[in-house]
Amino acid sequence: MTIDFVTLLPIFMFLTLAVLLFSGFPVAFVLGGVGLGFGFLGIAFDVFSFIEFFNIVSRIWGGVCENLILVAVPMFIFMGTMLERSGVANDLLYCLQVLLRKVPGGLALSVTIMGTIMAATTGIIGASVVMMTLLALPVMLDRDYDPSLATGTIAASGTLGILIPPSIMLVIMADLLSISVGTLFLAAVIPGFLLAFIYTVYIYLRTKFNPKLAPPLPDDMGPKTRTELWKMIFKSFIPPIFLIMCVLGSIFAGIATPTEAAAVGALGSILLALFNKRLTKTVIKSVTERSALTCAMIFGIFIGATAFSYVFRSLGGDDLIHHFVESMGLGSWGILFFMMGMVFLLGFFFDWVEITLIVLPLFAPILATLDFGTHLDPTMVIPWVAVLIAVNLQTSFLTPPFGFALFYLKGVAPSSIKIQTIYKGIIPFVILQLVGLILIIVFPELVLWLPTKLLD
Amino acid sequence: MNISHEKLDNSLGKTLLNISSKLENILVGIGKLGAWLSLPLIAIIIFDIISRKFFVLGSTKLQEMEWHLHAALFLLALGYAYLKNSHVRIEVIREGFSTKLKAILEVIGVVLFILPYTGLIIWFGIDFVSRSYGMNEVSSALTGLSHRWVIKSFVPMGMAFLWLAGISVLLRNISYLIGLKNNNKALMDTSQSMAPELANATEILIKDVQVEENK
Repeated sequence: MTIDFVTLLPIFMFLTLAVLLFSGFPVAFVLGGVGLGFGFLGIAFDVFSFIEFFNIVSRIWGGVCENLILVAVPMFIFMGTMLERSGVANDLLYCLQVLLRKVPGGLALSVTIMGTIMAATTGIIGASVVMMTLLALPVMLDRDYDPSLATGTIAASGTLGILIPPSIMLVIMADLLSISVGTLFLAAVIPGFLLAFIYTVYIYLRTKFNPKLAPPLPDDMGPKTRTELWKMIFKSFIPPIFLIMCVLGSIFAGIATPTEAAAVGALGSILLALFNKRLTKTVIKSVTERSALTCAMIFGIFIGATAFSYVFRSLGGDDLIHHFVESMGLGSWGILFFMMGMVFLLGFFFDWVEITLIVLPLFAPILATLDFGTHLDPTMVIPWVAVLIAVNLQTSFLTPPFGFALFYLKGVAPSSIKIQTIYKGIIPFVILQLVGLILIIVFPELVLWLPTKLLD
Repeated sequence: MNISHEKLDNSLGKTLLNISSKLENILVGIGKLGAWLSLPLIAIIIFDIISRKFFVLGSTKLQEMEWHLHAALFLLALGYAYLKNSHVRIEVIREGFSTKLKAILEVIGVVLFILPYTGLIIWFGIDFVSRSYGMNEVSSALTGLSHRWVIKSFVPMGMAFLWLAGISVLLRNISYLIGLKNNNKALMDTSQSMAPELANATEILIKDVQVEENK
């Protein structure tokens, strides 16, 4: 293949995108604008034609609008926003604290469990880390928790949400990779809980051997009588867990499609708010508006990425990537690690929304050609790689010095918390993440066992 | 937002802000109205599930209605989200910029990216809708919904709202820059208070969460 300016156009296109994104202009519009600009460049060099822009509209229509799977996204967002705004999340954290008050590191454990349960509700990382920080950090500091341990726990648990189903990221990944949402959800269950489990063991052991890090909560915290305690558990602990179980259970049992389960979840969140007497008109209004804004943000990028990748492909970007990867002669494992490395680097700067929507479509054709021999069932390569990417991304969000979850945390934490404190607290969690990641790479059964078992 | 005219004392800036805020009011209204669609969306999906389990109705119509509402919901909110600064930005470098530089970049961004990009999609989107209208397009499923052009027209419409939102943001940033140039503090402050994109990103997030918590 000849190397000249026109064949390299897709590379310039990608570099232009990368540079312009750092201007801080909204990602959705930079994507669209760069797509348009390079479309015109392509026209100037006779490798693109004006009428092809029409196809972008058809792609937007077919890919983003006329797509029943993606309807799950607004529904999950609604559910998450409602659980958060109606105070269900808050009550749950308090209830967990009371239940775990006698366990070493009880408060940190509560935050981890809460992160796992409320994972469902995670939209973008920034927002969920901010929410967790505002909810949990003041309480932890009040109780004289070690600031490093506190911030590390919050950052790690707040980002776990992209991984634990029902996560919006997994819905979008499944759509882009043309695999079933149910399969990907099932594939992510064990790795997600494995990480949550490793976190809890770490926190438990660390605080057991060094109680100064996490002074116990007062014994008389919470309701005074046993009946009151049970009342609290029934009111603030069981309902949200039951709701998430229903949503996931109905998908896994094949009773409901992810979209239907998400709507049931949304209805459930409304009923929960009603049950807690918090379903005021203000709450409903704020939840619908907030969810519409989040949807517009995600699908705005979806539309921009559609425009960008259409032009990128028309200019021969796909072939170029293919040639490039082939010429490196890496083999399947090499390609996998190369991709993981790229995703890890991108995770320093971008949220999952940008990474999945921009990068995943570029990788998708290569993913289909990967062959790991007897390491795992060839038909399950894509779900496995998708879960690897998800865990990798979460690790990347946490890794100093860039990991951008840390910046959000720093942004909302009291100024007495130095960034070094946060770095110090997060490093053990990054190591735990890497352990998890290696386990999943070496033992693909961790990912594949559940979907194979349940879907056959 | 209401602008107190007396203090601004710069007729051009005042006019720009007036137009900007009128546009904003309309577009935010549309977005908020569209946001309510999530409630019928939930209702329709639930009805679909129940009716399929118990009465065995053909639910193709309902399922098509579901993505119709989903599409309308986010398309109507695109401009609203830009006005409220809800579209994700890469803040790593931008954080350190002065407000002036942020305003300049916003003006350039709207002119170079948003207006041409949405303009093109509107242009071809109208073509897209009129083809559908011309051939009286209906669902490809036998029992699906008819009048496909109605929902298809939300694509150029949503983009048109985004285009207008771009104009509104453009005007409020220009008016900030005018205020800066003429050393007119009142104009600068009013423009900035209308422009969440000129505020500190984390501050907005905190304020947002706290306002909700206080309710």
